[in-house]
Amino acid sequence: MLTIKDLHARVEETTILKGLNLEVKPGEVHAIMGPNGAGKSTLGYVLSGREGYEVESGSAELDGKDLFDMEVEERAQAGVFLAFQYPVEIPGVSNMEFMKESVNAMREARGEDALSSAEFLKKAKEACKHVELPLDFLKRGVNEGFSGGEKKRNEIMQMIMLEPKLAILDESDSGLDVDALQVVAKGVNSQRDGNRSFIVVTHYQRLLDYIEPDYVHILSQGKIVKSGGPELAKEVEASGYAWLKEGESA
Amino acid sequence: MSQWLAHVIERAANVDDWLSPVRANALAQLKQKEWPGRRTEAWRYTSLHKVADLNLQAGSQASAEAPQVNGLNSIDLVFVDGRLTTDIAQLQLPAGISITALDAKSEAADALFAKVKPAHHLFGLINDVLAQQGIVIDVAEGSQVEQPIRIVNVATDGVESHQRTLVRVGKGARATIIEHGAGNEQSLNTVFAEYDIADNAKLEHYRLALQEDQAIHVGGSHFRLHNESKLNSTLVGYGSQLTRLDVDIEHAGEHAFAKFNNIYLLAPHEHFDLHSTIEHAQPNGTTEENARGIIGDKAKAVFNGRIHIHRDAQKTLAELNNRNLLLSRGAQINTKPELEIYADDVQCAHGATVAEIDEEALYYMLTRGIDKQQALVMLNFGFVQELLFQMPNKALADWLQPILRQRFERMMEQK
Repeated sequence: MLTIKDLHARVEETTILKGLNLEVKPGEVHAIMGPNGAGKSTLGYVLSGREGYEVESGSAELDGKDLFDMEVEERAQAGVFLAFQYPVEIPGVSNMEFMKESVNAMREARGEDALSSAEFLKKAKEACKHVELPLDFLKRGVNEGFSGGEKKRNEIMQMIMLEPKLAILDESDSGLDVDALQVVAKGVNSQRDGNRSFIVVTHYQRLLDYIEPDYVHILSQGKIVKSGGPELAKEVEASGYAWLKEGESA
Repeated sequence: MSQWLAHVIERAANVDDWLSPVRANALAQLKQKEWPGRRTEAWRYTSLHKVADLNLQAGSQASAEAPQVNGLNSIDLVFVDGRLTTDIAQLQLPAGISITALDAKSEAADALFAKVKPAHHLFGLINDVLAQQGIVIDVAEGSQVEQPIRIVNVATDGVESHQRTLVRVGKGARATIIEHGAGNEQSLNTVFAEYDIADNAKLEHYRLALQEDQAIHVGGSHFRLHNESKLNSTLVGYGSQLTRLDVDIEHAGEHAFAKFNNIYLLAPHEHFDLHSTIEHAQPNGTTEENARGIIGDKAKAVFNGRIHIHRDAQKTLAELNNRNLLLSRGAQINTKPELEIYADDVQCAHGATVAEIDEEALYYMLTRGIDKQQALVMLNFGFVQELLFQMPNKALADWLQPILRQRFERMMEQK
């Protein structure tokens, strides 16, 4: 599904990713853990094509197609979804029109007809139910005045609506209490269908109690320094990141 | 002096009706007025040369369809070229509302020139002397009127017309008034409305100045707020050949609250000028004013927002913000937010900006597969839509949204 080879990327003058390799197969859940400043969020931004994040070398392919050759929206249409750590508030655009536009853009890219208003609403209602968001959230401005937890649930709601091939969850657990965390995890788990792949980026092991990964990778200084199964996350929980080599930025 | 104004004064002098004594004062003031030129501060960025030599037919017997607002369920009072075409006697009015037309002498009509409107507005005086028809709406003390009242003004081709409204909201009463203007052919339509909002009363107000294209529209909405009264007003304007609106909000009592949102959306070559003045004459008042405009190619917007806090108006909270989005290099905005403060214990803020695209929001939308062109349309329109979302009347907002959206999309194509 996703193949990242020797990826180097920088923001302005600072190289953040320094030779990252990752292979994600259909249906797999990969957790990427690491201390602050390791480059965890950068990976999501680089894969989604955020402006200012420059690929120096290396490659990333989704089903054999070069991601770096696509515009931001084309990557999304190809099936890459990024759940933001800090979802953006867009007060003048309603969640409803935002999602409708988005869902139909994806459908158009797949050669499907646009959903009717009724079909869309039905789908949106179901997605809201999955993450326990009241329906009136659809009428509000995108993320406008949402609490931290509501914003994260709204991201998962979007993911459910957009049915991506690959979902990258950037610290979808940060700032959540246990109840909200379970809701987010339940939403994610409902989308595990054996084909859809996930990259779960997190600082803490906690989320992985609820979303069980197939693989855990430790990212440090722009590289994956250790990979293993779910047990690796437990190790991190026990010993923190202090065992990583010196020079680690806090 | 313009030919047109000379003609107005001549015509006014010949008007002989039961209101003539009331008009006399306005006529005397009008005679002292100079025709505004570039050096007249209130008209600095809006030239009246299109009006100066105007020679249109005064009034008409034309019939015209009033624009309908689906789902609004309002009581409609329709004026065509300044002439009331609704039979008031046939209206089913909710309890607590009384409506009097200006064509019959009555106590209510006597009060028509209640002078909430300041005397310095030139076209206000012109409207004083020439408005033949108008309406007085009284909301009885304590009446909670849910059903909106809509005053529609339609201007037809080749006609000059003047219409007048007075609304008195009694103590503790609540009402919703919508002023709805339409017309796109060559016409001059002045529409002035005065609102007296008694203690503890609430007024929800909308002014839709949707005249466009060849129309010329000049008017004002003027509010006097008494103790602990509340005003929530939204103005939505197009540009037309010339649209000029003056809004005055006077805090005449303490603890009054005014929220005033403005949206203007100017198609290429249109002209829109909004002057707002908020007078805080009494302590503990609050004003929140937000003006947002999107200006198409070769269109011109003028925004002058003044907040005047008098010496006794301690503990006033006042905010005024004006943001503008210019769709092309040929689009123009002259904005001037002014704070004039004579009290020392107040909280005030004001600002004006030319908006730029929020890159963060754009990226977010792109990551959801929305193409860039479409994302820009949504973001730009969202800039004014944010104020539409704040309108308390959802039916009206739902009706306006697609209309404004279409206008905006055309503006984007024409830029």
